[in-house]
Amino acid sequence: MISGSQHGGRRRSLDSEVNLVPFIDLLSMCICFLLMTAVWIQIGTLQVKQSHGTDAAAPAAQSLDLEVKFVNSLSIEGSLKQKNKVFYKFTANGADSQAALEEFRSQLGGALAKAGLNTLAIEQAAKAGAAQRNEMTKTVSDRIATGMITPTTGVDYGQMVGVMDILRNHLIANLGVVPVKNPGGSK
Amino acid sequence: MKLGAQLLADRPFEHFLVARNRKRSSTKKNLIIGLTLTSMVDMFSLLVIFLLQTFSASPEMLVVGKGVTLPVSTSAVEPKDALVLAVSSEGVFLDQKRVGDVNELLVNPEPLMLALEKFKERWMQSHPTEAFKGEVTLQADRALPSTTISQFMALLPGQSYGSIQLAVISGGGV
Repeated sequence: MISGSQHGGRRRSLDSEVNLVPFIDLLSMCICFLLMTAVWIQIGTLQVKQSHGTDAAAPAAQSLDLEVKFVNSLSIEGSLKQKNKVFYKFTANGADSQAALEEFRSQLGGALAKAGLNTLAIEQAAKAGAAQRNEMTKTVSDRIATGMITPTTGVDYGQMVGVMDILRNHLIANLGVVPVKNPGGSK
Repeated sequence: MKLGAQLLADRPFEHFLVARNRKRSSTKKNLIIGLTLTSMVDMFSLLVIFLLQTFSASPEMLVVGKGVTLPVSTSAVEPKDALVLAVSSEGVFLDQKRVGDVNELLVNPEPLMLALEKFKERWMQSHPTEAFKGEVTLQADRALPSTTISQFMALLPGQSYGSIQLAVISGGGV
């Protein structure tokens, strides 16, 4: 007796094709949305604690103050002072503003070494995790209390930020900008 | 390799097969061209994965004003939600509202001070139980004189805005 469910013994072929059209539509919508909301330029901030001379008490009697003064866009002077007496002074010169900043970076390393800080350890800590970086920042802050930058006519803001960036990379946390009153020739 | 008549002459079965294929190919066929979408789906998937990785849902997104090219820094941190003071050659803007011209405000900073005071009062009204934090984000064009920016920075503590963040572009640097 032939069973009615066999339908004459013919089998339906299985359709194994996956319809990709809705998937492609979904991917296209995702891509359009993400392209519109994509952030191509990461904006960050540099914290500046004071905008004028610091009155903060030095955490240790032996701490130094780093003063950075722009002579012009090609020459940057740095000096480490202890109780207003010059402890160490250096000048960074360059053929252009970028070269002057590079020279300042290398001279700063020497200045920190003179102050008794291990610049290699500072550079390593700056790239390391938050805990190590915070610890080294405290060590540097105990030795160098503040970093004050004095701008001058002819030096653009980008170069001033470049110097601040270099000081931050050396974990000098307390940065300030000395206001220039009625600079001659300012536009 | 072409099948020549000479080759087929002494092979009747192969001759039959060739003739049958020629007869089949002479009939018209419905052309259905299948488009291979696999590679396109692969590309879309990779694009979505890349864009998801660069996607940022942080609410503190600074809107950079027109005419402001920010300086570059490698040691920048995440921006905080704060009042934005933008200084460019086109003027000084506080929370995207024009306050005045750069040179005019350096001579007479009164409009800027009043605007800052207004924001401070508004903040204190909306946060009655909190102490005023005095946070401000300074966006300035990198080509502006550093002396100009330092003068603006000196004006801010006068209105209790002592916590100044300088907006920069992360990455690159010296």
